[in-house]
Amino acid sequence: MAKPKIAIFDFACCEGCQLQIVNLEEEILSLLGVADVVEWREAMSEKSDEYDIAIIEGSITRMEDEERLKRIRGCAKVLIALGACAMTGGVNKLKNNFEDFEEVKKCVYGKAAGKPHLRTAVTKAVGEVVQVDYAVPGCPIDGKEFTYIVRSLLMGKKPEIPDYPVCVECKANGNPCLWQYDQVCLGPIIRAGCGARCPSNGFRCFGCRGYVDNPNVDAAKDVINRFGLNLDDLKTKMVLFGSKQEPTIYE
Amino acid sequence: MSVKEIAKNDFTRFVGTLIRTEKVFGVQAKGDRFDFAPLESAQDLRLDYDVTLQPPKKYFLPPAEVLLTYQVGGPYQSQLDGQEFILLGVHPYDMVAINQMDELFQQDNYDTHYMTRRHNATIIACDVAKPSDHVFASSMGTAVVKKGYDILLTDIGDSFVAEAATPKGEQLLAKAKGAAADAQALKKREDIWARNKKSLNKHELKCDPAYLPKVLAKAYKHPVWEEKAKTCFSCGSCNQVCPTCYCFNVQDDVNWDLKTGQRLREWDGCLLDGFTKVAPAHEFRKARADRFRHRLYRKATYVPQKLGGQIACVGCGRCVGACLPDIANPVNIYNRLIDDLGIG
Ligand code: SF4
Ligand code: SF4
Ligand code: SF4
Ligand code: SF4
Ligand code: SF4
Repeated sequence: MAKPKIAIFDFACCEGCQLQIVNLEEEILSLLGVADVVEWREAMSEKSDEYDIAIIEGSITRMEDEERLKRIRGCAKVLIALGACAMTGGVNKLKNNFEDFEEVKKCVYGKAAGKPHLRTAVTKAVGEVVQVDYAVPGCPIDGKEFTYIVRSLLMGKKPEIPDYPVCVECKANGNPCLWQYDQVCLGPIIRAGCGARCPSNGFRCFGCRGYVDNPNVDAAKDVINRFGLNLDDLKTKMVLFGSKQEPTIYE
Repeated sequence: MSVKEIAKNDFTRFVGTLIRTEKVFGVQAKGDRFDFAPLESAQDLRLDYDVTLQPPKKYFLPPAEVLLTYQVGGPYQSQLDGQEFILLGVHPYDMVAINQMDELFQQDNYDTHYMTRRHNATIIACDVAKPSDHVFASSMGTAVVKKGYDILLTDIGDSFVAEAATPKGEQLLAKAKGAAADAQALKKREDIWARNKKSLNKHELKCDPAYLPKVLAKAYKHPVWEEKAKTCFSCGSCNQVCPTCYCFNVQDDVNWDLKTGQRLREWDGCLLDGFTKVAPAHEFRKARADRFRHRLYRKATYVPQKLGGQIACVGCGRCVGACLPDIANPVNIYNRLIDDLGIG
């Protein structure tokens, strides 16, 4: 059997997720042993229009990007959204909280704001433009989780991504809860799978993996009250990765 | 079997000897809390602790473990870790929980992985010196324990009373300096037991726990489940910190050769979404309440059916402190049901 072909494309993002893949080093060689990587700007220069698995990094912020993404979808048997930018829109969706994008551009780019390549539109997650088959959560992604997903797909098996909150892994690591130390941690509504990386190092979860499928926002409000905080304390924590988002569901 | 009185500094020396010759896990400070961890120095041991963040079950049922390695479509090989170890400082309620798990993991399918670790363990239990914020072991009849450990320690002030309960414990205790405990020391221990049977009770259950299955038999449709579950995160913290929760999930991970792999076992929890993958999306809220109810039924109906009536909540209070919306407290729920439905 011919090796399956994998292509990786980036859109609006910092390319930090691809960097996580490059950083896998030895595992990358193992991946190349079982699959052909046919397009990957960050690591190689070839171009190809046939692939079994397309991996999309970044969110969609311009009309021409939507067209490009649809072309890619047309060539791919399976499409994977890589990282928060692609899966949920990630930090790029902060922009969607504002109405006047010209103002936003001036604020971000200053005098250069008028340059044509800085045209911008409402940020969309990949799944808001084309059908996404699998998503790798996180900002950046967890390299181990990425390779697990790819291996599962190469075996023809559905990868299992947790649909339970970060608290599960946090508690399995034996951490005390940061809420009891005055931190507004988003762990109870955010998808696990990172090994509760942040709370295990004493820092609240800021939600980079996106919401679980069915986050209990009522409970979050209730807890805010119990701890004598107000709703804005919660909202300001949710805005970084939770701007303009419905819970993400990929079957 | 011997009962010794060991002066505190002799006890510290004894622990030092154990650390030099055996693998020891003991209770230590973790920030301003406590937890079991590998013990490097006798000075780090804190038998004056109130409660550990995690129950000691992780030493028998780790959060994640490799059960076996396999070849796709071919033979497999069981993976077992065989190191002997000492678990130092297990409180009575946690000891009762381990005793229950021991029974459960031998029933139906004998669980080799759990039981191998259990047989490799020497347990040094210790009576509670300082009650935690939410302990209710007195209500559950688990404030003192009479079996399961190899040695039981009781802090009686300037010394420990140490009682060996098994040949393993006897052998270990022989290494400690100390005379046979006299009547005075034993009296002090009796007093501490009597005290703990009353005072480890920050939440008071309104009936003898033996009645709980009867109460629950009438409570399946009670509104309390929906009410509480409204603010449930399904975060499973109440499961994860519970010494008697033992649900797990088994998953395969294939290696890059796509020919070999390993089978992993990880903690699961009945409160987690996706635990029962049959719930249709529009029934989320109801499903949340069902899962919430399931935990309370498991503790006081389903598991007791397998354990000759023993209630599978040992009153450690960990779930009470771990639940952010403060809905997990079993005593609050059981008392509410007792008020509404009676115990008859
Ligand atoms: S998800 Fe984060 S790390 Fe990955 S590309 Fe986007 S911004 Fe960068
Ligand atoms: S620190 Fe955060 S992730 Fe950990 S238990 Fe508390 S809320 Fe959950
Ligand atoms: S703990 Fe939260 S913010 Fe940190 S990596 Fe995990 S999901 Fe992201
Ligand atoms: S009862 Fe509390 S600890 Fe348990 S899952 Fe619900 S919110 Fe989490
Ligand atoms: S249900 Fe709660 S109090 Fe009872 S044993 Fe479990 S964690 Fe402890």
